[in-house]
Amino acid sequence: MSIWNYVVTAHKPTNVTHSCVGNFTGPQELNLIIAKCTRIEIHLLTPQGLQPMLDVPIYGRIATLELFRPHGEAQDFLFIATERYKFCVLQWDAEAAEVITRAMGDVSDRIGRPTDNGQIGIIDPECRLIGLHLYDGLFKVIPFDNKGQLKEAFNIRLEELQVLDIKFLYSCPKPTIVVLYQDNKDARHVKTYEVALKDKDFVEGPWSQNNLDNGAALLIPVPPPLCGVLIIGEGTIVYCSASAFKAIPINPSITRAYGRVDADGSRYLLGDHAGLLHLLVITHEKEKVTGLKIELLGETSIASTISYLDNAFVYVGSSYGDSQLIKLNLQPDAKGSYVEVLERYVNLGPIVDFCVVDLERQGQGQVVTCSGAYKDGSLRIVRNGIGINEQASVELQGIKGMWSLRSATDDPFDTFLVVSFISETRILAMNLEDELEETEIEGFCSQVQTLFCHDAVYNQLVQVTSSSVRLVSSTTRELRNEWHAPSGYSVNVATANATQVLLATGGGHLVYLEIGDGYFRFHDLNLITKEHLGGEIIPRSVLLCAFEGISYLLCALGDGHLLNFLLNMNSGELTDRKKVSLGTQPITLRTFSSKNTTHVFAASDRPTVIYSSNKKLLYSNVNLKEVSHMCPFNSAAFPDSLAIAKEGELTIGTIDDIQKLHIRSIPLGEHARRICHQEQSRTFAISSMKYCQSNAEETEMHFIRLLDDQTFEFISTYPLDQYENGCSILSCSFSDDTNVYYCVGTAYVMPEENEPTKGRILVFIVEDGKLQLIAEKETKGAVYSLNAFNGKLLAAINQKIQLYKWMLRDDGTRELQSECGHHGHILALYVQTRGDFIVVGDLMKSFSLLIYKHEEGAIEERARDYNANWMSAVEILDDDIYLGAENNFNLFTVRKNSEGATDEERGRLEVVGEYHLGEFINRFRHGSLVMRLPDSDVGQIPTVIFGTVNGVIGVIASLPRDQYIFLEKLQANLRKVIKGVGGLSHEQWRSFYNEKKTVDAKNFLDGDLIESFLDLGRSRMEEISKAMSVPVEELMKRVEELTRLH
Amino acid sequence: MGSMLGDWPSFDPHNFSQLRPSDPLNPSKMTPVTYHPTHDRTIPPPNQVISSESKNIILRHLYQHADEKLRPKRAAFENLTPEQGCKHPRASASDMPPH
Repeated sequence: MSIWNYVVTAHKPTNVTHSCVGNFTGPQELNLIIAKCTRIEIHLLTPQGLQPMLDVPIYGRIATLELFRPHGEAQDFLFIATERYKFCVLQWDAEAAEVITRAMGDVSDRIGRPTDNGQIGIIDPECRLIGLHLYDGLFKVIPFDNKGQLKEAFNIRLEELQVLDIKFLYSCPKPTIVVLYQDNKDARHVKTYEVALKDKDFVEGPWSQNNLDNGAALLIPVPPPLCGVLIIGEGTIVYCSASAFKAIPINPSITRAYGRVDADGSRYLLGDHAGLLHLLVITHEKEKVTGLKIELLGETSIASTISYLDNAFVYVGSSYGDSQLIKLNLQPDAKGSYVEVLERYVNLGPIVDFCVVDLERQGQGQVVTCSGAYKDGSLRIVRNGIGINEQASVELQGIKGMWSLRSATDDPFDTFLVVSFISETRILAMNLEDELEETEIEGFCSQVQTLFCHDAVYNQLVQVTSSSVRLVSSTTRELRNEWHAPSGYSVNVATANATQVLLATGGGHLVYLEIGDGYFRFHDLNLITKEHLGGEIIPRSVLLCAFEGISYLLCALGDGHLLNFLLNMNSGELTDRKKVSLGTQPITLRTFSSKNTTHVFAASDRPTVIYSSNKKLLYSNVNLKEVSHMCPFNSAAFPDSLAIAKEGELTIGTIDDIQKLHIRSIPLGEHARRICHQEQSRTFAISSMKYCQSNAEETEMHFIRLLDDQTFEFISTYPLDQYENGCSILSCSFSDDTNVYYCVGTAYVMPEENEPTKGRILVFIVEDGKLQLIAEKETKGAVYSLNAFNGKLLAAINQKIQLYKWMLRDDGTRELQSECGHHGHILALYVQTRGDFIVVGDLMKSFSLLIYKHEEGAIEERARDYNANWMSAVEILDDDIYLGAENNFNLFTVRKNSEGATDEERGRLEVVGEYHLGEFINRFRHGSLVMRLPDSDVGQIPTVIFGTVNGVIGVIASLPRDQYIFLEKLQANLRKVIKGVGGLSHEQWRSFYNEKKTVDAKNFLDGDLIESFLDLGRSRMEEISKAMSVPVEELMKRVEELTRLH
Repeated sequence: MGSMLGDWPSFDPHNFSQLRPSDPLNPSKMTPVTYHPTHDRTIPPPNQVISSESKNIILRHLYQHADEKLRPKRAAFENLTPEQGCKHPRASASDMPPH
């Protein structure tokens, strides 16, 4: 790999952190707005349900999201603040269908300690000010003037240092906040303050309440007429106002999210840490609160946000499981639940670990993630491309073409499958036993190759051969008419539909026939448009088709390239020429339908489905190696199927849903934290944690589980000891032993210890589908990482790297024996090896590079990065370049300096690349999501896959230097054309940022920005093309190729 | 329980009325268009680019208190009528008593 890296998202973040409901896109339109860390999604509520409108990338990690209605406005504005202290106020311009920025700014302070409990951003219900709590001891105010314009922000000193929540109270003559805080004796209280805008200070508020529930962590302001605030604790809920105090006990739970139901604030939905949904009701008489009531409604995913939508429908956003659309029913179901889950929205977050495997053995990587947390934990199998589910197949060599035919024009199903060979044509049909058998259509000529077939009007079939066109009755199967090519002119290419036939004969002639009831009629042809393709490559297949109401002409060339044009059906004009590379061999194009939508199948050495989404053509790989021909075959026995000719075989199969990434979920009901695949036993081993609630007592249990790699069923389980956590898992073999083992590293996490002081390494073998413990070795700490290393086992144990030999005892049993080690880390968390080199990612001391010296049997440090980076994942890109991710959401690369003149220089890992990803990476793995073909351009680009807390799967691709320089220029130009939403700067967003420094990104490119080139309108593309002096077609082709990396 | 659960608020009674729930095992596949603004209104009006007051919060506090300390004195000063206390030069010679 190289230092020139391209970072791109294969799967966008799905962890829902915030949501709100309001009239954003119009006064009469109700919207759900969802934040997924670095993106917001705008949905419209419709009779059909939630209709997605827009996915808006934000150049920042969203810290707060609020809708508000400034005075005199007809619709709501959206306030967003980012973790890097930027904020913006967005408005929807319905006429232009654009998001515009009403205000933006920077609210960072040079001095100040960032809050521990997250940033708070709130808006006064009377729209007098925006309040932010970003640094301990400070409350930042952005005042509105009377015209709704924002004014200069200022800080107010906040006495309370450990703030848990702040909200504005409703209906106060002066803007009033209520602060929930913890004092230095760990007791929790609430206090109110009025914000004196003129004096830029707080004035003691109307009331306060001391000594609340020790777990109180959430405030819910109650709107008029009741007003006041609800304080949600772990054992009690309290309603508090200047005049009233009501409390009710609740079952112990941690409330994670709330959603207000009624505008008058009398009912709230509360979601807790176990995924239970409660309804909290404030009972009142004559606007006086008389008490509180709480009822369990049912179970959902563990909610991070709850938004009441409309008519008893509720959106439950989750960080730990799939988000959901639920309905609140009046009557409980059989299980006593009032909650009905109607839709599920996939969330891969948090991806704690993953592995890349080739389960179907097709040469294509699939990612299997440990996703979700607690009860919502799951495995997800993520696969790129479209799969074919084989139903039947037969060996047939040398297929030159295939067509399906019906036995009557109005028959809903296909009966015949015409298969053409170089010197014959065979006809297959479904028999009564639903088997495909050879049959005859008497009127067809079967001794020659068929060039084209089609169903025609009046229950007829058309067969085109090189010498004639035959019209055959589909009921009697007899010849009704035949047109013979003039002698000396054989037909080379043909196409037809139900009423028309077009033939091309030698000598450059076109013949056009219309089909009647038993006869052909001739017509002349006029040339409407002529388009020069240029180049020397012959077009092999052309196709007219319409996607989402837009007509296209597709033209496939003999070298695997595809040209597409927009076709004006009135004038015949061809515009917006685009060129993509699909493979290296000639392509044949065919349409087919799936789920009532038309798509195009491009058969070649790299079969591809061409489809349209949001009026843009997309290309998705089909997970087959090589397809020479395809035709849809919708028979009664195999409805909605395709007949596919590949590698001497005819296959009938159904096709997956047409989309780029396919995700399969395996719910576990427990939290999988490590995963590893073992090719030899065809199993996965996972380390998982299960929470058990028994009486108010919550216990954790940890397991090592063995799963079948096809069915994903648990086939064997090894329970770990009490307090013992699985920390690492590895499939490996040792020198002088042919067996393959699973090695598991653990830690005993004792409640009274700061760091584990004891752990184990367990060595298992899979026998008869069972995990058999072969050896175990106690360690003096947590085994954070295990690596196969020179036929031995390399473990990272607390601050030490330890190498173990696999020794044969006299009695024939095996044991791990310590060989050597290396001290000097804070916590050695992540280890990767290459040859004799060991790269260690430390808790807080960035990278170090160690080397194992065979002769001395010792591990020594070679070099280190002296920066203080808190690592979250490391990977070795090549001999000299190492990739790291750290806890401020940055990516960086360091280089070994073996040519340094002095020991000091050689001992220093030089930082060569820096980039702010904005995502917390838990794992890197070498591999690829797409099938790698050795003769394609992208097949040569090495890639690393990463998985993040927000459920992002990303790809880091190492580019050749010239390609990097080209794309860097494209990125610079794109920055000028594609503006940051809310006025946020792309350059600032991608700059490496931590507590100590902010520096421009280097040697990393933002693939998401670069690939958005393909979403631009033609004029914008041309603008960039001009600035770069590169033709649009060339730019598109190069960017399109990059999209094929993921 | 029934009374607590009924009467859900409704903005538009048609919303969700024709919802056809998807197979709960098959997650919903909604892919909104990704927004890439190319217009100039991503930049707010010039007076709406907000920054924080540059004055340090402690300095502001000190100044405010300093003002408060000064204010009563100045007030006293302003309230003093010329007749009270201060010496003034005699307005004109003509006011002088004749010798």
